[in-house]
Amino acid sequence: MSKTALIVDDSRTMRQMVAFTLTNAGFTVIEAEDGKDAVNKVSGGAKMDIVVTDLNMPEMDGITLIKELRKMSTFKFTPILMLTTESALEKKQAGKEAGATGWIVKPFNPDVLLKTIAKVLPA
Amino acid sequence: MSNEFAQFQDAFFEEAAEHLAVVEEGLLQLEQHPEDLDLLNKIFRSAHSIKGASGMFGFNTVAQFTHKMETLLDLLRNGQKAVTPQVADLLLRSTDCLKTLIDAAKSGAPVDTETVQRLTTELATASSSDRSSSPQAAESAKASPAAQVDHVHEYTIDWTPPEWLFQRGLDPLQILKELGNIGTLSQVTIDTSRLPDLAEMDPEKCYLSWEMRLKTGKDRKAVEAVFEFVREDSVLTIAEEVRGKELGGRSDEAKASGESIGTDHSSPTPSDGNEENPKPLGEILVESGVVSRETLDQALAQQKRVGQILVEQKAATPQQVEQALLKQKLQESSAQAKKTDTASIRVDTAKIDKLINLVGELVITQSMLSDLGARFEMRQLPVLMERMADLERNTREIQERVMSIRMLPIGTAFARFPRLVRDLSTKAGKKIQLVLSGEETELDKTVIESIGDPLTHLVRNSADHGLEPPEERLDNNKPEVGTIKLNAFHEGGTICITVGDDGRGLNRDKILAKAIKQGLINENDKPTDDQIWPLIFKPGFSTAEKITDVSGRGVGMDVVKRNIESLGGTVTIKTALGKGTTFALKLPLTLAIIEGMTVRIGRETYIVPLLSILESIQPKRESVKTVIGKGELINVRGTYLPVVRLYEVFNLQPEHTDPVKGILLILETEGERVAVMVDEILGQQQVVIKSMEQNFRKVEGIAGATILGDGTVGFILDVRGLLEIARQGAPLAA
Repeated sequence: MSKTALIVDDSRTMRQMVAFTLTNAGFTVIEAEDGKDAVNKVSGGAKMDIVVTDLNMPEMDGITLIKELRKMSTFKFTPILMLTTESALEKKQAGKEAGATGWIVKPFNPDVLLKTIAKVLPA
Repeated sequence: MSNEFAQFQDAFFEEAAEHLAVVEEGLLQLEQHPEDLDLLNKIFRSAHSIKGASGMFGFNTVAQFTHKMETLLDLLRNGQKAVTPQVADLLLRSTDCLKTLIDAAKSGAPVDTETVQRLTTELATASSSDRSSSPQAAESAKASPAAQVDHVHEYTIDWTPPEWLFQRGLDPLQILKELGNIGTLSQVTIDTSRLPDLAEMDPEKCYLSWEMRLKTGKDRKAVEAVFEFVREDSVLTIAEEVRGKELGGRSDEAKASGESIGTDHSSPTPSDGNEENPKPLGEILVESGVVSRETLDQALAQQKRVGQILVEQKAATPQQVEQALLKQKLQESSAQAKKTDTASIRVDTAKIDKLINLVGELVITQSMLSDLGARFEMRQLPVLMERMADLERNTREIQERVMSIRMLPIGTAFARFPRLVRDLSTKAGKKIQLVLSGEETELDKTVIESIGDPLTHLVRNSADHGLEPPEERLDNNKPEVGTIKLNAFHEGGTICITVGDDGRGLNRDKILAKAIKQGLINENDKPTDDQIWPLIFKPGFSTAEKITDVSGRGVGMDVVKRNIESLGGTVTIKTALGKGTTFALKLPLTLAIIEGMTVRIGRETYIVPLLSILESIQPKRESVKTVIGKGELINVRGTYLPVVRLYEVFNLQPEHTDPVKGILLILETEGERVAVMVDEILGQQQVVIKSMEQNFRKVEGIAGATILGDGTVGFILDVRGLLEIARQGAPLAA
């Protein structure tokens, strides 16, 4: 069975690029356009193998989303990667405290994205 | 940056344009509501999105510039800096510049580095006065840490992860595996000393520590990178052993593994996504050895830009030069954009779904009809009629839905006006507020694209001529702030757009005086108001006393009218002295379908665009006159109009050759009128326009063709062309 990934980003282009990369790598991808949308999409009990989320988003930001996800039994141990820009690295700490597994610094290339995911994805 | 992402570039540019619009609109609103945090957040997010995505395509100039804007926006957002008009203005100018940068990235055109540099400095100054933060120099970070293969290293790694490791979705096993991927792990020992009794143990916590040896061809950084996500929270020591001292006997193996790692070292991808321009002259000269690099650099250092020279000669201020440069960029890029614009349209899926649904219904109706037709009896006639009614309903609905796919809210055409009005009010020293309504009114994409310029002209006109300066307004007991209102609404099968101001209104006497001076009106005439106002649409007609930067150069209003009429629309004016002027544009919803009047000449049917028909008359004998040199004329309530006998133009066999027996349609376009003679008026119907040029060739007097209800082809009259024919006086043989 293919692995599942939840991609959360309010930028359509970014979302599509991440989704494209992961789909090509054999993932089944679910996209959400902000934290609230993401929570709505998985609150029914859907399980994901990995979550990739942007931090700066309307409605619900990435940090809050990570906190919310960690509260759910289905996402307690799921690897969650945050997409951050160099300048937002101070957010890294907040993200870690919220329960983020790791981060990917924008801009990235597909290789880095896949490698980072491979790094945290349970076998 | 990466070819794999190249296919998303178009999507990026589309999205970037949306974000730019949000930023610009937001900044304009921000001037009025400097305290609005939601607004600031929105602007920040859009800038942030542009920055993030542009970096992905290697548009580093865009990313870096946006970063500077973002830094300032962040300070505003956090309340560390106040939103002053200067800051808002700087951000607006930066947005313009960003626009040109993005366009440059799109078209590959060179970037005006001078302006970028200046604005970058300005942004940095605005951001830094409160907080002397060091500029983030490494914005264009290399995404992949290039693996370096030189020596084989041996590390002893001691790692105690934080207890909450699992709660962040991390797995120590993953890290060990990763280490195994970059080298050879040996002597892995687990320290379980911290493991509590089973009763006290929290299975969600990590109590273990590891010690291991790693032999790898990669350097320390690569090893540290494995621990990237946990390093700061772990107790981690990575100690390098001197190679060969302890495990010297196995150094051959180490070398071998080092080499095997070396082979999968991937070369870093070149990151020059937007630099496919031909090389500059100097580069080529250096390459071919004509001059040395130093000579070139010296020569370039002496070279000055036109702007710089002008500034030095005090012929222009730096600001003026910058403005002009920006303008040039915008013009270049808009010319580019026009060329490269792909005619794609984004359609709401709901619209498509509904359409598919309707097509389904159509198929059902069709199969019911063919079923009925296969074994039809006369007593089933009512059923047939019912099915036909269904078919008609389905067809009409599908037609409407398909049309609606091309429909966009007019808000997209209105979006440019807040900025325009702001700039105009600063320039003219007037206080103007813009009120938009009916932005959601939908109309055809092509129509929206074509009305932008005429609307801009009208708004400029209102701001410049319509509204009075604040002092004059106060003197006249009017609010200091003038209002320009843009409104759009549907009216029957047309869309009505109004551009109104509460300014001084049109001055009847001034216009009349000018018209008499230009010989448009006879001095003794007593024209009505409705005859006077349209005079401002005459070419070269301007009553403005002084020519300003904005408008009043005597070109424009005639162009507005011509543009609108070429879209099959009309312009009317409502004005009251001292109270304001409102221009009302009436446009067809689409250019593909027109409301037409079907008329008969002999046995042929022609269609006349309904919007151009003023009235139809049966003239009295005495009102038809023939004037030498001017042909046949008809007197309609005192005005003589040329008569065009369509049967002569198209070489037909008519029923009547006498205007008194036939019917004369009075048609108007661009303020000129013509009487067209036909045999009979048949009725009114919507017709789909098929192009003549595309399917046959251009025919004088014919705008297009359509298929009539009985399957025959009907021609749609070109009113403008008919006017030409009337002017030439001699009928053309078709």
